[in-house]
Amino acid sequence: MKSDKIHVDTLVVGGGIAGMQASLDLANQGHQVALVEHSPSIGGMMIGLSKVFPTLDCCSCITTPKMAATAHHENIQLLTYCEVQSVTRNDDGFSVQVIQKPRYVIEDNCTGCRSCELVCPLDLPDVENEFGRTAHRVIYVPFTTAVPQKAIIDIDSCIFCGKCIKACPADCIDFTQTPQTLRVEARTIILATGFKVTPYDAKKEYGAGNLRNVIDAMMMERLLAPTGPYGRVLRPSDGKLPDSIAYVQCAGSRDETLGVPYCSRVCCMYAIKQAMLISGALPMADVTIYYMDIRTFGKGYEQFYQNAKAMGIEFVKGKVGRIVEDEDQNPIVRVELIDDNSRVAENKHDLVVLSVGMLPGYDTQPIYDVATAKDGFVQIPDSNVAPTVTTQEGIFATGTATGPMDIVDSIITAGAVAAEASAYMHLHSGSPAAPAAD
Amino acid sequence: MSVRTNPNLLLEMKKYGDVNIESCFNCGNCTAVCPLTTDNESFPRRMIRFAQLGLQQPLLSSKELWLCYYCGECTKTCPRQADPAEYMATARRYAIAHYDRTGLAKLLYTTPGFSIFFLTLLAVIFGWFMYTTHGPMAGDALSSIDFITPEAAHLVIFIIIIVLGGLWGTVMMVAQVGKVNRFPKGVRLNWLGALWEAVGIEALGQKRYRGECESYTEPQPWYLQKWFVHASIMWGFLGLMAASLIDLVFNITEIKALGDSVPIWYPVRLLGTIAGLLILYGTSVALIKRIRKTDESTSHSTLSDWVFLILLWFSGVSGFGLEISLYLPEEPVWSNWISIFHIAVAMELIILAPFTKFAHAFCRTVALYFHALKPISDTNTE
Repeated sequence: MKSDKIHVDTLVVGGGIAGMQASLDLANQGHQVALVEHSPSIGGMMIGLSKVFPTLDCCSCITTPKMAATAHHENIQLLTYCEVQSVTRNDDGFSVQVIQKPRYVIEDNCTGCRSCELVCPLDLPDVENEFGRTAHRVIYVPFTTAVPQKAIIDIDSCIFCGKCIKACPADCIDFTQTPQTLRVEARTIILATGFKVTPYDAKKEYGAGNLRNVIDAMMMERLLAPTGPYGRVLRPSDGKLPDSIAYVQCAGSRDETLGVPYCSRVCCMYAIKQAMLISGALPMADVTIYYMDIRTFGKGYEQFYQNAKAMGIEFVKGKVGRIVEDEDQNPIVRVELIDDNSRVAENKHDLVVLSVGMLPGYDTQPIYDVATAKDGFVQIPDSNVAPTVTTQEGIFATGTATGPMDIVDSIITAGAVAAEASAYMHLHSGSPAAPAAD
Repeated sequence: MSVRTNPNLLLEMKKYGDVNIESCFNCGNCTAVCPLTTDNESFPRRMIRFAQLGLQQPLLSSKELWLCYYCGECTKTCPRQADPAEYMATARRYAIAHYDRTGLAKLLYTTPGFSIFFLTLLAVIFGWFMYTTHGPMAGDALSSIDFITPEAAHLVIFIIIIVLGGLWGTVMMVAQVGKVNRFPKGVRLNWLGALWEAVGIEALGQKRYRGECESYTEPQPWYLQKWFVHASIMWGFLGLMAASLIDLVFNITEIKALGDSVPIWYPVRLLGTIAGLLILYGTSVALIKRIRKTDESTSHSTLSDWVFLILLWFSGVSGFGLEISLYLPEEPVWSNWISIFHIAVAMELIILAPFTKFAHAFCRTVALYFHALKPISDTNTE
């Protein structure tokens, strides 16, 4: 059992790629770290993705070892399915109150054998990880590579038939669990609270989520991922293999009607990446990317774009104005072909993917009193000099909590925040590494 | 072919309305959401681009300016909130001012002070002229044509000169738009069909206005839809004009003297009454919508919009005042004053038509004509 008072050097909030990397970088320097994650597994957004750009490496293959390393590191305490309730500053740093939400499964005893899943009689749509495209049981391990491999019960849907109790070899089902309060004493806090995607149903002119064959790019990631719901790319309305797929860029970014005036930085690259993966998964399919500007600014990114063009992926300049559908639910995209004499075209596709952008995943203002910028992400007062330092002393931020960025940059800032926090702790307390007097 | 640019075009256009197209990053969203754009008629982005680049001549010779009915869909969805629909409206004002070679329209649009002064002055001149040249003004005044004396007819010459000067602007527009929409020599064109489509189907019938332009707007009862409000004003105005002209012809041909009492079902009177009701309804709703700023198109009212609607409203109200006074048992003397007021307002509307918002009636028809103009295919010769 966890003791209800934990003493660490750093509390990392958020178990995505940035939070895990920051935790590992600090732990490897000998610091004690507690990692709080609100969902039942760490891994964040990245574990759900298919491949990373521009190398097309498998996402799971990069993330899973990191998740395991984080979970098994002797200096890291994992607090999954936990939420920070309040933070108070004291002489040594911060006193943080954390709520452990009940799994209704005794975490320390569960071995992840999944015997309970086999006997549970009820299926629920897997909304958290698969957009409701597949199902999981009422008692379930969140996903195949979840860390920790511990079951959890969706108590609102449970009929308390007791089959899992009989099946569990470790006697760890406990319907009586209640939320537990933990207290974490930490000298520094790192916010790695991540992002969420812009709602794909926000735009009325894109069907407001009512067109079945208009999906968002996160769902496409799942269709393309080896662990995805179908194991292949099928369109939602009729399960057909799509022959013609269109990407609508800036479907959630650079759009003041959505209150998102900024560029989300990743959408061009992930759309190109997905287009390439589709070319592999469906070699006969045509892929069209409708864009306003293609922004491929990172190392190797421009070459990636040029490769995609050479592969035959079609890039069409023009912001899609409207998407409607025909009687067979084929989406029809209306766009001004800016490079073709401003002609207005209505192109029919089998599947349309909205390249949604990034929104802040969490408002750090109420609990941490960390100021957010106008765009809602954590405000970094001096981003050129100290890209991870927030307005609150001792609280740092990393990854997409500070603004839209890709995985490469998230890992870079995770390293940066670990160094920043480590240096801060070194300077601000009787650290064991203090230089000798003589 | 070299093209002259006007570096101050955008600044000049800002005098005509709320233009925010510096924000535009040319994504093409406005063109794509517009229900009216076609392969050959691409707007608003192309029109915005003209202004950004200072291409005054291409802008003024674009029929596309006048094909837009301001449904506001582009403004609602513009990712930069650059308000393309209001830009289009402003560009139309700018175009009216620049088709007109007398400079009067430019002054009326850009100098509100002058505009109000000029309109008042014109009304006073009309009123004074009517007053000083009026005939007997007793209680029975209106029962006789004598109220309007032959001297008043001198006004007609004055009116003709101004209207001709203004119509020159329409000719300029036809010339400019025609140059861009030129077909090779010898191609047979459907000019008669195009004329019918422009005037009959689109201008009077409002086919695209009530069809395409309503396709994405918030659902409203038909009597509040924009096209119907506009149509009531237009049909009402045309009806009133027809009724007045027929009345005048009847008077000249001595079938019925002006101001003779006739029953309500008498065709000319019936036409006048219905048309008057329509114009009153239309202008009242339009004014209320503009006061309440109910949608994109009614939130940016300029002086020209107000003046146009208010003059129309006044001419409608005073017209009814006249009708009522005519059928009272004893005609009151104030009917003469209403008569003077009505004629002053109506004259002002008509005389200033080419220089004010009223000019859109000509401009749109011209643009719609070129929109409908197509070569006749030679399939029937086979």
